[in-house]
Amino acid sequence: MKEVHKPKVDPITLSVVRGVLETTQREMTLSLEKTARSSVFNLAHDYSTALFNGRPEMILQGQDIPIHLGSLIPAMKAVAKFFEGDIHEGDLILHNDPAFGGSHAIDTCMYKPVFYKGELVYWTVCKGHLTDIGGPVPAGYNPNAKEIYAECLRIPPVKIWDKGVPRNDVLNFIYTNMRARRDQEGDFNALIGACQVGERNLIALLDKYGKETVDACIDELLDMAEKHMRDMMRTVPDGTYEGSAILEDAGHGFGDFEIKATVTITGDNCHIAISSPPQIPYFINSYEGNSHSGVYLGLMMFAALPPPYNEGLYRCVSIDFGPKGTICNAQEPAPHMNCTTTPMETLTDAVRLAFEKAMPSKVAASWGHANGLNIAGWDKRTNEEYVTMVLATIISGGGATPEQDGWHAVGPECCFGALTSGDVELLEYSYPIIIHRYSLMADSGGAGKFRGGSGTAWEVEPLDGDMLCIGFGEGRRIPAMGAAGAYSTDIDTKVGRVELNRGGETEVRRTNIMETIKPGETVTNMNPGGGGYGNPHERPIEKVLWDVKNGLVSIEGARRDYGVVITDPETLTVDQAATQALRSAA
Amino acid sequence: MTSIKNRYRLGIDAGGTFTDFVVADRQTGETKLFKALSTPTDPTRAIQNGLKLIHEAIGVSPTELVSNSDLCINGTTVGLNALITHRGGKTGLIATAGHEDSIEIRNGHKEDGYRYDPEYPAATMLVPRYLRKGVRERVLSDGSVRTPMHEEDVRAACELFLKEGIETVAISFVWSVLNPAHERRAAEIVREMMPDAIITVGSELYPQVREYTRTSTAVVNAYLAPVMRRYVKAVDAYFRELGAAQPVRYFQSNGGLAIGQVLTDRSVYAINSGPASAPQAGLYVSAPFGKKSVITVDMGGTSFDITLTKDGQTNLNKNIDFLRYRIGVPMIQVETLGAGGGSIGWIDPLGIIQMGPQSAGSEPGPACYGQGGTEPTTSDANLVLGYLSPDGLLGGKLPLDIEKARAAVRKVADPLGISVERAAYGMYTIVNNNMVNGIRRVSVERGYDPRDFVLVGAGGATAAHITALAREIGIDTIILPKLASGLCAFGQIISDVKYNYMATAPVRLDNDAAYKRVDDLYKQLEKEGRAHLVSDGFTDETIEIRRSLEMRYVGQVHECTVDIDTFDIDATSIERVKEAFHRRHKELYTYAEPHNPVEVVNIESTLYGRIEKPKLPEKPKAGAAGGAIKDHRDAIFDASGIATRTPVYDGDRIGTGEPIKGPAIIEEVTTTIVIEPGWTAVLDPTNSYLITRDR
Repeated sequence: MKEVHKPKVDPITLSVVRGVLETTQREMTLSLEKTARSSVFNLAHDYSTALFNGRPEMILQGQDIPIHLGSLIPAMKAVAKFFEGDIHEGDLILHNDPAFGGSHAIDTCMYKPVFYKGELVYWTVCKGHLTDIGGPVPAGYNPNAKEIYAECLRIPPVKIWDKGVPRNDVLNFIYTNMRARRDQEGDFNALIGACQVGERNLIALLDKYGKETVDACIDELLDMAEKHMRDMMRTVPDGTYEGSAILEDAGHGFGDFEIKATVTITGDNCHIAISSPPQIPYFINSYEGNSHSGVYLGLMMFAALPPPYNEGLYRCVSIDFGPKGTICNAQEPAPHMNCTTTPMETLTDAVRLAFEKAMPSKVAASWGHANGLNIAGWDKRTNEEYVTMVLATIISGGGATPEQDGWHAVGPECCFGALTSGDVELLEYSYPIIIHRYSLMADSGGAGKFRGGSGTAWEVEPLDGDMLCIGFGEGRRIPAMGAAGAYSTDIDTKVGRVELNRGGETEVRRTNIMETIKPGETVTNMNPGGGGYGNPHERPIEKVLWDVKNGLVSIEGARRDYGVVITDPETLTVDQAATQALRSAA
Repeated sequence: MTSIKNRYRLGIDAGGTFTDFVVADRQTGETKLFKALSTPTDPTRAIQNGLKLIHEAIGVSPTELVSNSDLCINGTTVGLNALITHRGGKTGLIATAGHEDSIEIRNGHKEDGYRYDPEYPAATMLVPRYLRKGVRERVLSDGSVRTPMHEEDVRAACELFLKEGIETVAISFVWSVLNPAHERRAAEIVREMMPDAIITVGSELYPQVREYTRTSTAVVNAYLAPVMRRYVKAVDAYFRELGAAQPVRYFQSNGGLAIGQVLTDRSVYAINSGPASAPQAGLYVSAPFGKKSVITVDMGGTSFDITLTKDGQTNLNKNIDFLRYRIGVPMIQVETLGAGGGSIGWIDPLGIIQMGPQSAGSEPGPACYGQGGTEPTTSDANLVLGYLSPDGLLGGKLPLDIEKARAAVRKVADPLGISVERAAYGMYTIVNNNMVNGIRRVSVERGYDPRDFVLVGAGGATAAHITALAREIGIDTIILPKLASGLCAFGQIISDVKYNYMATAPVRLDNDAAYKRVDDLYKQLEKEGRAHLVSDGFTDETIEIRRSLEMRYVGQVHECTVDIDTFDIDATSIERVKEAFHRRHKELYTYAEPHNPVEVVNIESTLYGRIEKPKLPEKPKAGAAGGAIKDHRDAIFDASGIATRTPVYDGDRIGTGEPIKGPAIIEEVTTTIVIEPGWTAVLDPTNSYLITRDR
């Protein structure tokens, strides 16, 4: 019989406590989703919830957005430390500042200390991407910002409730500095409601089992997760492995950068050292809190451990982000707003690639990086300003795995399938736009024995007035990286880009645009596909033909990427000899 | 047609393992339950077998029974199996050009959140991409036409479909819900070019805002339609041959009955209809006790189904992923867990005991069945705990092997270093806890406190867990009908005909035109609905209407459903609607924003054709509780694993009104009821046990 871990607490109580913690987190998430105003938040699920113990260690990470949650660990610790000795029942703390453990400032966090019998026992925490966070450009993404001060309202840890009493002066100060005040109030209410839902459930749990038992169970869950990760690490051969990935110049003019990850495995310990170039006056710098998430995501794509996720997973992992003042370890005054996607996905890739060197058979391909649009303008229907990030524009293709093709339209990498695009009708109802197209794209998935998933194209026209389109992201020259020998020949179709259609002229742009378009003109944002897995010439011909039949691979793509020569586009007849020749040549 | 003229009502519930038959006899007032093995490949064979059993037991021949019966049946297995095994009809989709991929993009996410699992596959497409054809046409968000429909595109799609042998076509355009003209014209063309095809039109099937949901619902409907049509035809013909005087009524996932034609046009309403009759049955057996807020739990061999009804209104789901396909139409909210008598206990990589979702099913079944199963299941734990009789189930027809059960449970006990008894109690506790978390999902997550409800047990395996569940969730009152094991079939024969009429009306509630629009839409829907029910044979007196709206604060994206009474909506009465919304929002999310503007998105009228119900028995039955004790056995009621000597009652001999104090075990022919210490059961003349917590 297989040796299993013997828990130090009653195994039945442990199971029950674990179930209650999961239910609690789930109910917090549901409450956020259903009540929030910001479409980024409620349509797109760009929020996360987590529970911490009194120390504070993360005791449960919800399966919301992966790029949020690693970053909540340092953020929570920074907030608790700031108010150390001054945390009281009924307090509620707000925070977004990246220089203070946050990720990017538009992801605003709410922290509620949970007291039981007068003692601080837990924290319920949630984080959501707001509609706007002040600053000169609507929706927070300002490619022209040279410093963080030109991006947004920074909120260091601040109490918005003090012993149960709302600090209306502070709230008013914050709302006054943001656009779309009514939505902001609604979103703050949603965050507060979710924290309260969590608190209610945790107190009921303590009432039932008592603090000592519940804490013992939580400690056990942390220890178990630690053991789980250590067991996995032991399967990786000891050694030092390097991964490196290129961060494209998205139009800032500073050129391409290399981000490197050096992973050292010693027994069941793992040390990850990051090296990145000096920070630049452009919004793609990542402060340390956010960089945690990028590293953890690369690690988890490799480890592929099942839930539950808590801080115990990372006890055997140490990270060195390199000197301050670099792209992956930024310091004031570096601008940062794009950081949750760029450079994070490149950092994730570097970590993933280092692990691939350690164990090539276990690694999945990269997912398409985020390359999207924010839109803003005036809605004549309601006489109100509108502004939003269009999550539909960053839905890229999933990476292939050693077992199967990548999922279509499920990225970007930093969200790993947790994000949703929102319904076309709901978007057209909320904003004065016409969405002409939201579709998969031929030849966009990375070639491989297992094909990467297709990216998406999103074509929009403003309904009755000018619309400002602000681009962000990258992945417009370098396709999502394949794994285990996958490669694509046809690159242009696999990377992200923007098409501007004005007066019958089409212009293709591969940089972060900031353009105003008018009714009658369109912008099409195209998102990259996922990377493939394995040699594309080993992909069975019938699978290639099925993709051709479904318009996911073109006749030309079949030849160039897969070495399959189709002679008749109607019947999809294959020239076996020519195919054989192409496939054996490579 | 709306009152019972026939002597019998026959309800048939085709489940995964058994098909249940409930016969209510108007003359004797008796209701009897029969079980035949299900025959998924040809459902009429199970019906045949069941009718034969009934003939043998009560001496009424199939012809006599059927020609004197109101017939109610569900087609859940057929629709469900077609969707699970991907064996629906060959389907084509006609969509707005540029939006053909919405059912494959699926809002761009994994429906159960992010997962690192490299083997988790994308959902199988019911319509592959080459059979999804775009048509140049466009309606805008105000219902105006931006691009007129290019009819040649529809014709081109039909030509491809004809070549490909498509038998069923879904048509779904962006904003058709505000202007269905293009969809209707496209349907005309398809009908003309493909006269044999079944056609599903998005705005007719599910006239609600959200293109992806509407298209996906239309596709699922189109996909199931050929299968349901064949099934309904076979069942109708079978009963007609036996002399059925009336059309068979089919049970729908919305919790009501419909005639076969409705189910072939709206097949998507058939897919989860099996457990959807539980709430009606639960309400019915609770009514004699004055209870209208009911949670029903139904534990079978592989799954555990939960429903919730508050003040007579049952929770509904709309716009959910069901078996990985987005379905919009209202379905009774059935929370289904992989927790049944056959659920397997195991130890996860973290060293935690888990129960299910894997199940030993009926083949090989739990280890104690002695059919070759070796994995420890819920039933094995229940046998070790002394809850089930070592003499076997179904009156000894299914013998149980205690030694095999113990050997299986040891697989959980040994690695954790605990006794078999403690491990069994652990398995029992964990499976109960999974079920309690499921009950939270239908109650707490919907803003209801489970302690305000009575718990009604259904299904053969539930009764062994029922007092433990009530204890855990804080419920004080349990109603457990003797008929529990066939309660869903019973639910069908006491259900009404039910149709949902929906419209979309995205308006802010701050002007008279908006109130009038909502009012007009309701009147229009209800006019159509009444006409439909009248054609089914109902009269004004037997038709009832319930209204609901999906509302939100301006700026929110998700709506909350608000029930309202039927009244004219105007500048005064709108305040009642708004108040109902603020109240519901607070119940659900801990706060309301009464100063902020409110809008309506979708509206719905549910029309019921009321059917006269068979009466529950009312006669008391004599018999002192003590006289019904047939045995004693050791049973375990706490984590120590120490057994208590527990009386075992013969359910057939228990008289009404006699208190049976826990710990006790009551053996009925089709179920075994465990009464924990601290609970007392009393048999009511209506043939249900009322089980209450001792004070």
